[in-house]
Amino acid sequence: MTAVAQDLPGVADATTDALLSVDGLRVEFGPADAPLVAVKDVGLTIAPGEIVGLIGESGSGKSLTCRSIMRLIGAPGRVTAGTVDFEGRDVLAMSSKELRDFRAHDVGMIYQDPFSSLNPVMRIGDHLRETLRANRGMSKAEARAEGIALLERVGIPDPERRYLSYPHELSGGMRQRVMIALATASRPRLLLADEPTTALDVTTQAQILDLLTDMRRELGMAVLVVSHDFGVIAQVCDRVCVMYGGHVVETGPVERIYADPQHPYTKALLDSVPDMESAGNPVRREGIPGYPPELTDVLPGCVFAPRCAHARPGCTSVPMVLQPVDAAAPDAGSTACPVRPFSVGGPFDPVAGSPPDPVAVPVSPQPAAATAAMTAAETAARAQTGDPGDLPAPGEARITQPTDQESTR
Amino acid sequence: MSTATLTPPARPSAAGRLLRRVWRQPLPVRIGGVLVGILVFAAVFAPLLAPYGQNDLDFNAQLQGPSLAHPMGTDDTGRDVFSRTLYGLRIDLAVVLFITYVPLPIGVLMGAIAGYFGGKVDLVISRIIDITIAFPFIVLVIAIVAIVGPGLTGIMIGVPIVAWALYARLARSEMLVLREQPFMLATTALGYTRRRAILRHAVPNLMRSSLIYSTVDLVVNLLLLAGLSYLGLGMQPPNAELGTIIAEGQANLLNAWWITTLPGLVLVVFGVGVGLIGDGLSDGELRGGGA
Repeated sequence: MTAVAQDLPGVADATTDALLSVDGLRVEFGPADAPLVAVKDVGLTIAPGEIVGLIGESGSGKSLTCRSIMRLIGAPGRVTAGTVDFEGRDVLAMSSKELRDFRAHDVGMIYQDPFSSLNPVMRIGDHLRETLRANRGMSKAEARAEGIALLERVGIPDPERRYLSYPHELSGGMRQRVMIALATASRPRLLLADEPTTALDVTTQAQILDLLTDMRRELGMAVLVVSHDFGVIAQVCDRVCVMYGGHVVETGPVERIYADPQHPYTKALLDSVPDMESAGNPVRREGIPGYPPELTDVLPGCVFAPRCAHARPGCTSVPMVLQPVDAAAPDAGSTACPVRPFSVGGPFDPVAGSPPDPVAVPVSPQPAAATAAMTAAETAARAQTGDPGDLPAPGEARITQPTDQESTR
Repeated sequence: MSTATLTPPARPSAAGRLLRRVWRQPLPVRIGGVLVGILVFAAVFAPLLAPYGQNDLDFNAQLQGPSLAHPMGTDDTGRDVFSRTLYGLRIDLAVVLFITYVPLPIGVLMGAIAGYFGGKVDLVISRIIDITIAFPFIVLVIAIVAIVGPGLTGIMIGVPIVAWALYARLARSEMLVLREQPFMLATTALGYTRRRAILRHAVPNLMRSSLIYSTVDLVVNLLLLAGLSYLGLGMQPPNAELGTIIAEGQANLLNAWWITTLPGLVLVVFGVGVGLIGDGLSDGELRGGGA
């Protein structure tokens, strides 16, 4: 495997050697005149063989971003702006035949729920044979041999017998392995893993993640891992994009994000994950106050400002634009928070704290008319009762910890 | 459960496997299977089993009650009711299978297409379904009989024209649920053609409910066929068909009950047998033959 490219200073940069580059992506639901915007101006690049994580709460737009790459967003949702560039080809402009070809050969996808992602009336072998015959034009005998080899490669014991099993005869982890075999059967260069381990228990989760890194090493395949679990991201990813409220708020190498988060949301997210020291500690972890924004909430300025412990008056008018964390080190990634360094030592204390001067914040005040229009749009949007897709209720919008630590809280 | 089959026994013949599989089902399904099996056997081998021809007149044995020579008695022209029932069953089952299982795949396919694509395709197909179901069915059959002439042909054309619609409606509603399943999304993500996704991945999932409904439909269609023949739209005399036998025996209902009652009981037995099987199917209790 060649060295994993980790260049990515800005958002729309590095298009030349990137495998995939998403730029200015916008996904809307609802009526065109008062749309509910679920993904706003999201950019993302993945280099060949790189594992990139996309992390965020439920409803942050991470799954929609992931699906947009394969143009899998069903009506009522639609991509209204942006480009998805895969090896110089514009995915959003492909004809249906090109798109089918792209899905069949260039990208694979695995899903959150391995229990419903396999057809219950088809044997495991039938699944594999279908894709091998349809997408790689193999004969029946070839497909059988290759199918068994694929099952072996993803670590399924006794693949000959499992080839004839039905999905209900397999455990969740085994099914997810079958899904990986299925998604990688046509040797895609990019695998989209939409919450690949959420439905699995922690030990199985670790095995599946190991498998993904193995496959990356063996096949040179790039992987986009969508997750709400920092543990998962930290285990496999080279680089992370943190999403909140439909925006990418921070991006950078996973080590830097962990050691030195440059966006208050990333920091809060990391603080809410229990660590070893907190085991048995009856004190609850620091949560993030408030709720993530609803699709109907049109927030001026920084989307995280209403919940941010470090918010300044100017935060409601800063544009959501990623800026390099360190101009001297383009590899360190970028953040959408202009207030830097925000007080890293803990929550902002207005009495004792001496945060950087808010004057440094580039303020771009909105014209009153625009604000009024926004309010009107918001009111219209609130009147909407339509279901905005798969975005869940705020009740489940919480950063979950690995399940083994759940009980210690 | 699957570990028990690690060392499979020597594979019995296909017929043997089927019998063994039937025998492992719950008791009601087994009983239904036996009842239907006997009737199908009797219908298939009617020419061998029937002691008399279906139209053999015997004016020395008119209106005789059930006896060893005539297990179901004779009618007013001395024809053996048992032989006529066997021949009638033969025709009835063949026609009923035709008018039930020809529309089924058509309906499932139409429903699957409507449900999969949604939108305008769904709108058009759904309206056609509504119109078909709303159409007065007996009038349609009478009209077709008027065109092609009396006999079973009219029924075999008329019933499928209408019957597919119910299967289509059933399959469409299931497809609406099915298309949201991740494995159907996966067929798109894997770059399959829509044809492949519908025919090979969706339709097998839709068949279950349609097959269950078809067991009800079988009985309804058998009664319908008997009813239409009773009205004179179906099988023409003198050939036997359960409906015509019953219709002809009606005149002698008070003095020769066996002519109407015993063929009627055959209908009941078939209905109960098919019903028991259908019940087992819908309970999802069927035990597979694999692992």
